[in-house]
Amino acid sequence: MGGYAGSILYVDLTSGDIEARSLDMEFAREYIGGLGFGTKIYLDLIKGKPDFDPLSADNPFVLMTGPLTGMRTNAVARWTVGAKSPLTGLWGDCNIGGFFGAQLKFAGYDGIVITGASNSPAYIYIEDATVEIRDARKYWGRDIYTVTDEMIADHKTASMKSGQVFAIGPAGENLVKFASIINDKGHVAGRTGLGAVWGSKKLKAIFVRGTGKLEVEHPDRFDALRSELKELYDGNISTEGLRAFGTASHMDIGIISGDIPMKNWQQSEWDLFDEIGPVEYDEKILTGNSTCYACGVACKREAEVKEGAFEFEKGPGPEYETIATFGTMCLNVSLESIGKANDICNRYGMDTISCGSTIAFAMECFENGLINKKDTDGLSLTWGNSEAIVAMVEKIGKREGIGAILSEGSAKAAEQIGGNASDFLTTVKGLEAPMHDPRGAHGHGLAYAVSSRGACHLASLVFPVEGGGMYLPEIPELADEITGMSSEGKAKLNVVCEDYGMFFSHCVGFCNLGAMILNATQAVDMVNHVTGFDYTLDETMQLGRRIWYIKRGLTNLFGARAEHDVLPKRLMTVLDTGPTKGSIPDMDLMLKEFYELRGLNEEGVAEKKVLEELGLTELAKLLYDGC
Amino acid sequence: MGLFESAEKFEKMLGGFFELLADTPAIADKLLASKLIIRFSYSDPDVVLLIDCSGDKVEISAGDTDTKATVDMSMSSDIAHKFWFGKVNLMAALTRKQMVAKGPIPKILKLLPAIKPSYAMYPKYLDENGYGEHNIF
Repeated sequence: MGGYAGSILYVDLTSGDIEARSLDMEFAREYIGGLGFGTKIYLDLIKGKPDFDPLSADNPFVLMTGPLTGMRTNAVARWTVGAKSPLTGLWGDCNIGGFFGAQLKFAGYDGIVITGASNSPAYIYIEDATVEIRDARKYWGRDIYTVTDEMIADHKTASMKSGQVFAIGPAGENLVKFASIINDKGHVAGRTGLGAVWGSKKLKAIFVRGTGKLEVEHPDRFDALRSELKELYDGNISTEGLRAFGTASHMDIGIISGDIPMKNWQQSEWDLFDEIGPVEYDEKILTGNSTCYACGVACKREAEVKEGAFEFEKGPGPEYETIATFGTMCLNVSLESIGKANDICNRYGMDTISCGSTIAFAMECFENGLINKKDTDGLSLTWGNSEAIVAMVEKIGKREGIGAILSEGSAKAAEQIGGNASDFLTTVKGLEAPMHDPRGAHGHGLAYAVSSRGACHLASLVFPVEGGGMYLPEIPELADEITGMSSEGKAKLNVVCEDYGMFFSHCVGFCNLGAMILNATQAVDMVNHVTGFDYTLDETMQLGRRIWYIKRGLTNLFGARAEHDVLPKRLMTVLDTGPTKGSIPDMDLMLKEFYELRGLNEEGVAEKKVLEELGLTELAKLLYDGC
Repeated sequence: MGLFESAEKFEKMLGGFFELLADTPAIADKLLASKLIIRFSYSDPDVVLLIDCSGDKVEISAGDTDTKATVDMSMSSDIAHKFWFGKVNLMAALTRKQMVAKGPIPKILKLLPAIKPSYAMYPKYLDENGYGEHNIF
């Protein structure tokens, strides 16, 4: 069977037991890979005791690749991680690019399941069949760039390639609730704070080096499809935009539709916006491009500031989301400071969306007198104060002063700050919303509200489909023209984008950006050519749907209910000016329709019969009978 | 049948708007910096407008199919009209081939900030120049 490496690694940090278990191909076909594998395995591990602290040894951690991860073609380098989130207390997962997933498969593993916790700093060393838990005391305390370089140097041999490192930084060690885990310095498992899960397990890093090769079941068909797609990629505006400007290209497109939040979501226009646009990025901080494994789209940016207050060495540059959170959200016109904030987040290992959004939230608290310079150790946390923004990022990473409060995330910080601080929140289920405004695309609003991990533009394909960059004419519900500022039909759109998106992005590992130009036929064909399966589009959507219910079930088991499927007041406040003037999602309508379509009861839990019809009897028992 | 019955009227209306953009320094300066020659080929009704930014001044000409353009944009007249109101989802229009862009795409994308102020100018231009019936605001 092509595509898969053939085994899953189980590592128990408490006992030190390590076991490689063969991948059951019936399981592989049913759960595809990525989150399909991860959610099912995770559920089986925690079903006897779902009530545990995310920062305890009881929280398993799953890392899973997809059947295309490691294939030599564009936009399939992705893989996933998942665990109970320390930020939200609910299910948390991340979808990551880079090189680690491919390397893990070359070593012979489709995924890793990590249980327990180590008593002292440890890392997992993987070199093909050699898997060991090793002492990481010498790496503990190091920032991510340093530990990546040191670990690669320490394991360098004359005859072997250098390997890949997936590591946490000081923020993960310090249990910052939005700590990330990073591969190759810039490929980030950012959202929901899973870096703190590693910190609590005293797991600093995984080093992997593999020498194996992956098989393709139908190489001629795969090559023919790659040739067809090459023609599609060349000259495509999405691809060319990503190649030319990276994800920052969205700055110029998003500003037209009012997609970009500004001043903590209080406006969608700003006279100084162009100061941090992609053209300025090129002129001020860009040093080059980079990419993920075997991807010719090459949307990643390298950046550097050679001198001044925001000096940082050449390294991964800020992505769109980071430019928006530290830029437009804080009315900050200094691209150099945005690059520096990004550099600190990468070194400490922190999610830039949560970090920047939490600082924007704190700025509004400062403006309204809920916190003052005494609380901020003298920092004047005013809009646009780039020095204060950068200083605050560092304080959060160190959990120093007010940084300790903000390191809990904005929702918990609002509880501590008190007053009307919660009015300034932009969170769903405790996760800060990404930089796409549902007032201009109502389907996003529903996607944020019902997302299992909290506000998320990647949980489904709603963002690329409603945003217009992805067109899937084979799926009837998505064939017609889509109007952003309308709530009609958006529940159905969400359901379809969740089902297909679960297959496409989260299980197979297609990149939502680089693979945006593929239609559904091309995507399903590619999976079939590589694996030898004979999936139909309908079947992939059915499988995706089933996995969506498992993920929803996990977050329900951790306590999420209907009252958590809501947008914060700030995102539901009508703007008086700008492209989205007067527009607001009709959440009541969309949620009612969505609940009906998904068969969710009043509490937001899937009805027992719905789960049983999908063959999820065990999950139904857990949710309804508690066993 | 689209919104516009007469090619002559559409050409005069949109050509006039392009002249206004060419006379607006904040926009013209950025267009000139691009050095692009952009040909817009509209259908239903069929109209061709060329914007030449390669010299010292932005030049607009109608019906020019001979000059070698660096960028060729084709779309229906209805889509073009909606676009200048800022009412077209650019990504969707390009993905669904309602708009087709040929040429150096990075340079085309660099023009987006330049034309952003024009969305507010278009409805005002229509009202002030006798095209108020086409104003969708």
